[in-house]
Amino acid sequence: MIAKLAWRNIWFKPLNTILSVILLMSSVAIITVLILLEKQFEEKFNSNIDGVDLVMGAQGSPLQLILSSVYQVDAPTGNISYDSAKVWMKSPFLEKAIPLAFGDNYRGYKILGTTPDYLEKYGAKISEGKLFEHNFEVVVGNDIAKKLSIRVGDTFFGSHGDAAEGEVHENEAYTVVGITEKTGKVVDNLIICNIPSVWQMHGSHEGHNHEEEVSQNPAHGEEGHIHDDHEHDHVAENPAHGEQGHIQHDHENDLTIDEPNMEITAVLLKFRNKMGIVTWPRIIAQNTKMQVASPAIEVNRLFKLFGIGIDALQYLAYGIMLISGISIFIALFNTLKERKFEFALLRVSGAGRFKLLLLVMIESLLLCVVGFLFGTILGRIALMLLSNSAEDDFKMSFNPYEFIWDKEGILFLLTIFVGIIAALIPAIKAYNLNISKTLANG
Amino acid sequence: MISTKDITFQYPKGELFHMPALFCTAGNVILITGNSGRGKTTYLHILAGLLRPKTGSIEIDSTDIVTLSERKNDSFRGKNIGIVFQKPHFIASLTILENLEMTSWLATGKKNSAIAKKLLCQLGLEDHASKLPSQLSVGQQQRVSIARALINEPKVLLADEPTSSLDDKNTETVIELLTTLSKEYKAALIIVTHDSRIKEKFHNQITMI
Repeated sequence: MIAKLAWRNIWFKPLNTILSVILLMSSVAIITVLILLEKQFEEKFNSNIDGVDLVMGAQGSPLQLILSSVYQVDAPTGNISYDSAKVWMKSPFLEKAIPLAFGDNYRGYKILGTTPDYLEKYGAKISEGKLFEHNFEVVVGNDIAKKLSIRVGDTFFGSHGDAAEGEVHENEAYTVVGITEKTGKVVDNLIICNIPSVWQMHGSHEGHNHEEEVSQNPAHGEEGHIHDDHEHDHVAENPAHGEQGHIQHDHENDLTIDEPNMEITAVLLKFRNKMGIVTWPRIIAQNTKMQVASPAIEVNRLFKLFGIGIDALQYLAYGIMLISGISIFIALFNTLKERKFEFALLRVSGAGRFKLLLLVMIESLLLCVVGFLFGTILGRIALMLLSNSAEDDFKMSFNPYEFIWDKEGILFLLTIFVGIIAALIPAIKAYNLNISKTLANG
Repeated sequence: MISTKDITFQYPKGELFHMPALFCTAGNVILITGNSGRGKTTYLHILAGLLRPKTGSIEIDSTDIVTLSERKNDSFRGKNIGIVFQKPHFIASLTILENLEMTSWLATGKKNSAIAKKLLCQLGLEDHASKLPSQLSVGQQQRVSIARALINEPKVLLADEPTSSLDDKNTETVIELLTTLSKEYKAALIIVTHDSRIKEKFHNQITMI
């Protein structure tokens, strides 16, 4: 009954109530988004680092190297010679070295040349079909398969570079041989093939200067035609490779991983012991034209940069929460004067002092609970929108339905605490109301 | 039934009031009259247990309310004393019926909707049950005050200048309702007033000087 009265009272002054609720809602929403974003962001970043101690790549920004090779969000720093990389990859210090070669994209999704170790590192099992064995066979990430409704057996052409609008490599089609399980990591948004596929695609791309030949092949979507074509080009432009004779049908003459003088983009390194992690960056920088960067260090640097923004937003949100507390206080305090007859009346009707204290407290707490609920919902709607745009731009999505009980629980307690503090003085005033005096002056 | 003895009262640093003794049985009426500033309202608040007298006793159905603790006093008042104020006050956010139910709930822990509705009928306000108090005229509001004062079937009904803000016709109605209903609900009715329109009607008067 007291709670019902409190509920009716807060909606009797809808403008005051709405102001307080909106303020609370905004601060709770901002903090909720930050909590979810920070946690999921770090989770995503850290889960992708697992098993990568260092990354070897072309000189340039180490952060860029990490972002491009581990998170697939930035452009690569450049290419490195596979031959010189191989020297280091054979080092006994290493437990595993996974070479990466970036080439094309299919509708904005990167096609990554690598070894099956890459899939293994991310724990991405093949849920449908099989692993790639031959050139131009690809395994498609779970998210892409779903979004573009790709099935095993489908074929497609890649576009050059990492822009979906890039030049289409119409002379080689990729064939989907497998689809990975969902991992929640970058693999979900990658198309993966072996490294020679990338080389071969670009080898033939370079030779692709006979426009008329392409136009003479109306059915160039068919593999046979393309590879006849390709063979021609390749033989003409690359006599060294031509010796091997490029006929894809039987895969006999494809480029292999042992091809000399080829380039790759980066190598993910996992060490047997910590020594290598410490010494390699200096050794590589002194002895080669490559660099080695540590994902952990770079990501920490990135978080520090983000951290400033997150802190600023957090202070803003707490500021708004403080203002909402003040707004609740002012609303309760202002109505105290008009409502003192009501309070006196309640006392006359048999309500003790404590019931009045309770009434004011409940009113404030109801505002806070309503504000918190709406804030939590609003925050998740905001995260959903944010997730959609991050998905388009960075192939990174956030889960708005996740509840982080401890942090959000603390936020709830904080909201309740604000409500209690805001109501404290008005509630005590109601508690101490002199009914006789109030009624005599009425 | 209500009876008082030897009541004195003093505001902090104020003069000492000697309140006249008073005795009123169920269904009867006593008027307390006198000029302003003589402590009429103070006396009513003492009778209601809202103020604690310096000395003396107030027995309502063999309970001396002066000796009760504040908490018990609040609860005793809710159950046994109905008060009609000079100006009608309500809980603005609740409807007329809900105001009555709230009064009943605070005293007894139950929403006595049946009696509330019956009282509203007796007062000719059944059509206004779901309106907010602010939507009623002052005369109607004062009638609702009577319903509220009676809903817990109190032993004592106190009225503090119940007609001072009403016109002649409404005064007539309110006085009529107070007397008939206090008889029906077997409450001792004590009216504090300086309104000559009321004084004419009652013989049992205590004048405070």
